[in-house]
Amino acid sequence: MSPAAFALRSLGRDPVRAALGIAGIAIVGALLLDMLLLSRGLLVSFGDLLESTGFEVRVTATDALPGMGPPIEEGNEALRKIAALPEADEAVAVRFGEGCVRLASGRERGVGVFAIGFNRRKEWTILERDDLPAPNAGPGASEVPSLLASRTFASEAGLRPGDRVKLRPGSPGDESVLPATEFRVAGIASFPFDGEGSRTAAMGLPSFSAAHLGGDRPRGADPGGEADLLLVSLRPGESPEGAVAAIRRVAPGLRVFSIEEFLARFGRTDFSYFRQISAALAGITGFFVFLLVATLLTVSVNQRLGEVAALRALGFSRRRVASDLVAESALLVGAGAALSVPLGLALARVLDGILRTMPGLPERLHFFVATPRAFLLHALILGGAALLAAAWPIGLAARLPIAATLRKELVG
Amino acid sequence: MKRIPGILLAFVIAARSAAGLAEAPGTGVPSILVTRQLAEARHLSTGDVVRLSNDPSGKDPRTFRIAGVYEPVPDPMRLTAKRWEARMHLGDLLGMTADPADPAAAEEVSAIHLASRNRTDLPRLQRAIAARAPGVLVAASDLPEGADPFRVLERFHVAISIVAVFGSTAFLLALMVIRAEERREVAGILRLVGFPRGKILRQVLVEGIAVAGAGAVFGVVLAMATQGIVNAFFQWHYDTALVFVRVTPGLAVQCVLVAVPLGAVAGFVASWSLLRREVVDLLRR
Repeated sequence: MSPAAFALRSLGRDPVRAALGIAGIAIVGALLLDMLLLSRGLLVSFGDLLESTGFEVRVTATDALPGMGPPIEEGNEALRKIAALPEADEAVAVRFGEGCVRLASGRERGVGVFAIGFNRRKEWTILERDDLPAPNAGPGASEVPSLLASRTFASEAGLRPGDRVKLRPGSPGDESVLPATEFRVAGIASFPFDGEGSRTAAMGLPSFSAAHLGGDRPRGADPGGEADLLLVSLRPGESPEGAVAAIRRVAPGLRVFSIEEFLARFGRTDFSYFRQISAALAGITGFFVFLLVATLLTVSVNQRLGEVAALRALGFSRRRVASDLVAESALLVGAGAALSVPLGLALARVLDGILRTMPGLPERLHFFVATPRAFLLHALILGGAALLAAAWPIGLAARLPIAATLRKELVG
Repeated sequence: MKRIPGILLAFVIAARSAAGLAEAPGTGVPSILVTRQLAEARHLSTGDVVRLSNDPSGKDPRTFRIAGVYEPVPDPMRLTAKRWEARMHLGDLLGMTADPADPAAAEEVSAIHLASRNRTDLPRLQRAIAARAPGVLVAASDLPEGADPFRVLERFHVAISIVAVFGSTAFLLALMVIRAEERREVAGILRLVGFPRGKILRQVLVEGIAVAGAGAVFGVVLAMATQGIVNAFFQWHYDTALVFVRVTPGLAVQCVLVAVPLGAVAGFVASWSLLRREVVDLLRR
């Protein structure tokens, strides 16, 4: 009889105990899997979001997040130099601003405004009607500037494609002498970095400047073309590292990040809390699995000392007894681990749902992301815990004095 | 003289008497306070003279003397931010930032902080200020319902602890089943000499409660003993005075109150499978 078959029979003798052990390992293993999904989930998800825009390199004035720090003062000059690089396919400027829309009820609502230079790649997905028109769209093009509205903005303001809407610079409640500007709603779009219920409008840079939606320059003077962010896409075959080095050479005062560098920065700062808490909890859950299996196996061996001694007396080698115990441990952990995967994925959905209620998070950002690395680590940690847990009972069984144990068991 | 590039001039105070920000005597150099983090990073100490500029290039710097070093108020919302900050008089800040061509710029402030006498009267206060100063946005410093990320984190941690409790319960049940099985014969003998099932059941229940209670108390003691290590690690990592873990009496009681009934249930379930058997069954070897 193989060690696995023997271990299966051993477990089958006390099905309740085995079931409880497997259930415990499944629950703790599910938590372990979730912590592993969490450890890099935000980075993977955020990386996917960044890649979905089609731009591989980002340029800002400082290390602050785009829109959170000072803008690039001479955006036009930087853009010209970057676009002339052989590595660059397209380079566009981005500005972030804030506007207000007055609803039919008379109340004002804030709208996040996002302006980007015209490019072939689009940061958004059109849900209804048209995209923003190309600059100089030719005869018949509307004189009224166009914008794209997010679903929430459109529904709260009662807007449909083709409607007109007035946006004024600033926040609700602000006093401003700057006039509101009328826009035509070209279409409804979803934006990758929008949170749930975000009111967002996207428009071209000229419309943004003309409507003074940048906020910082109410007097309208912006000869250098301020930009909060420059996005650069690369020609096929160009590496982001090479492009980053080239941009740093032509724009030495600016901060240049590839997606990898951007994610590494986030990993060190903004997302580090979840990485650390997941590492701590993964360690604790791994230890818990070890403790659970070690306890069950040790008690099981202690209860079967006579049986083990009898097997040794019948000619079972120490190695064979050890193999049986390793197989028993592997069966317990293997069954628990197999159950922990669907359980962990279901639990991850629940936990992700809780964390995604955090205000201001992009709707498409997830905390728990299934990656091959997470599953591999899950298997390795549980396998390691199974082996370690079997070590003590194996030692017990291997050191067992056969004659003394048999006598003691018989007399007992 | 040292130049400090890129400092976030985040906080200013208006009253000269506050926080020891008097002008350095006889020097005419205004004083500032800098955060401990900035002082450590740039090797600054009290009495040093530094130049500050509100332009990243360091254009048009102004000279200040460091009057002291302070620990910034820990702010969970800015956990990952470098707290390189300086405090100075409002007049000194306006002198650095105001546009000379704009006469109104010297009057400009970003916000006015108010401490209300009665928090329940906040809406009335908001209405009164709005009536006297139209255009001023009046907001309570409390985050609105659903906008507090720490409430979300709390829910997340509660969810994880519930899962951990399920795992622990399975562990406890397995232990209690083993214990019950070990005493199968003892239970049979007790039944044989006339002990009723209820009495044996109570004994196992008490044992389950004792195991769970001892485990919970051990967990609380372990948490209390290790909270300092956890706090020290995170405070070192984020360079903050924020407290991350605090085992409060309420939390300890909550922990024990959850664990003890679970122990009772585990004891009951484990012993029930044993006690429903016949005496002969229990005594059979």
